[in-house]
Amino acid sequence: MKNRTIRVENLKKNYYLGKMKVEALRGISFEIDSGEFVSIMGPSGSGKSTLMHIIGCLDYPTGGKYYLVGEDVTKLDDNQLAIFRNQKIGFVFQQFNLLPRATNLKNVELPLIYAGITNARKREEIARKALEEVGLGDRIAHRPNEISGGQRQRVAIARALVNHPSIILADEPTGNLDSKTGLDIMKIIQKLYEEGNTIVLVTHEPEIARYARRIIHLKDGLIEQDEVVA
Amino acid sequence: MIIQGLKIALESLWANKMRSFLSMLGIVIGVGAVIAIVSVGSGSTESVTSNISELGSNMITISPRIMRGRFGQMSGVSSQDKFTVELANYMEEFCPSVSRVISTKQISGLFIYDDVNVNANLVGTEPYFREINNYQIGQGRFINDQDNQKRNQVIVLGSELATDLFENDNPVGQKVKVNYQGRIFMFQVVGVMKEKGGSMAGNLDNQAYIPLTIAMDRMTNSNYISSYIAQATSSQKAPQAVKELENFMVKFLDDEDQEQFRIMSQDELLDTVSSVTNTMSMMLGGIAAISLLVGGIGIMNIMLVSVTERTREIGIRKALGARNKNILFQFLMESLSLSSLGGIAGIGFGWIAAYFLSQYGNWPFVISGLSVILAFGFALFIGIFFGLYPAMKAAQMNPVDALRYE
Repeated sequence: MKNRTIRVENLKKNYYLGKMKVEALRGISFEIDSGEFVSIMGPSGSGKSTLMHIIGCLDYPTGGKYYLVGEDVTKLDDNQLAIFRNQKIGFVFQQFNLLPRATNLKNVELPLIYAGITNARKREEIARKALEEVGLGDRIAHRPNEISGGQRQRVAIARALVNHPSIILADEPTGNLDSKTGLDIMKIIQKLYEEGNTIVLVTHEPEIARYARRIIHLKDGLIEQDEVVA
Repeated sequence: MIIQGLKIALESLWANKMRSFLSMLGIVIGVGAVIAIVSVGSGSTESVTSNISELGSNMITISPRIMRGRFGQMSGVSSQDKFTVELANYMEEFCPSVSRVISTKQISGLFIYDDVNVNANLVGTEPYFREINNYQIGQGRFINDQDNQKRNQVIVLGSELATDLFENDNPVGQKVKVNYQGRIFMFQVVGVMKEKGGSMAGNLDNQAYIPLTIAMDRMTNSNYISSYIAQATSSQKAPQAVKELENFMVKFLDDEDQEQFRIMSQDELLDTVSSVTNTMSMMLGGIAAISLLVGGIGIMNIMLVSVTERTREIGIRKALGARNKNILFQFLMESLSLSSLGGIAGIGFGWIAAYFLSQYGNWPFVISGLSVILAFGFALFIGIFFGLYPAMKAAQMNPVDALRYE
């Protein structure tokens, strides 16, 4: 059997808006191998955010199975999910989601703190190296509001990489950036893919989605098309 | 982990300086109040207690009760006619915890000097009266044994009475006339006492002291004294001495219900004082506790606001792998820092307040270590108790909702 990083079987998710039942995912199945670069595309309301939350171990599905590096995530409790998020997943968000009061270095250190690395000097060193890799070695003492949007997203990428996750989960990573900076960010993601990282990119922009080698199109909570990009 | 948590907590408190300060204020006032109140309580108690001790050392008074007339019986058929000078000797003999018993005879008369006349009490007594009352001589001397044996018509004046009679003249060596029930007695002033103020025997300063024998034999021609003053061997033995004296009197007078005599001791006075100060302390302590409670609610309120405000931060931390207990610990650390900083400030504040109050009220400045530990411990407890709910709320947030929060 091939080394499947993600395996999703008949995944379903319902939630309630007031008394109205919303079927966000209505039975989705796919597999992603280690080292793949996959885009998940769809219009708003297609269920792609819900799918991303479940893949990111932030939420439980209502039905179906989700295996992450062979582990049945649906059977994990809150605590184990937190450990999975810490160890297996690196998030890159549209809103960057950095802590505004902490320096870039401290922001990148956060996953290391929750990983239980108590040696502060060791943490600092790892975080500094990660920031140098995204070209921000000279910005470690700055705070997020002192740098540009593109630089913030690079800090977020450094933070996503710092625990060597099994997948990098990027949710509209260029959504809050101008097109030129967005290109820069996509180049970094492209480079990460070439270095062998598994990347799942959630977007509604076709140009961005086309960076991936495979695009899963979602519509109304179902997979509309699973295409391989040439 | 604890140092790390503390650092994070202090940083986020520092980021909202004004708010943190205001929410601390309740704890500052509460802890300060506890410390100041305990200090004022023990300081003033100490000063009152030492005042009472100054009244006389381990003094117990035994006096006859005036009996009521009932069913046509004559009133005044009292035990007064059993209170003799000799009885004092028996008390000393049969009550081992009593070191000394002296007799006093109190009468009142009109004092005349020159063209001044003053109504005042005369106390016929023994030399030891001075020691037992811890009464200091201002000038001249007190009554001595010779005066009693030889029935010298000498008199010692309390400070107030001396000024009333003599104003600016020197009383010692002067002669004073006393009109007692129409008869005139001449006394030579041999001493004036220092000011003393209140005592168990009333105000000593506006009385005069004469030999017991003069009061008994010459003036009243009576065998019965007014009251005994007994001294316990030590202050620890005072309650025991009271018991022994009671037993003795009950047997001697065959008076099971203690209707004919009355025993009063300094301890009773001290008890009264301490029960008053205890009530005061409890009342003020209650107010302080309420202030701490209100301070705690203030902290809870601020923490709830803080948790809501930082929902997104909680979401980010959870997405990066923070477990519920990490978030719980972070917010609990914050409320604990708030309350312990408030506690420390409160200790300083209470200390200063207690110092100035002691200067103002003129009592000793005492800070009890126990009150500091207790107040600070209570502040910490409040920090945990009132911080727990907001911290739990933060810890149990759903990461998806928290990340979406704007």
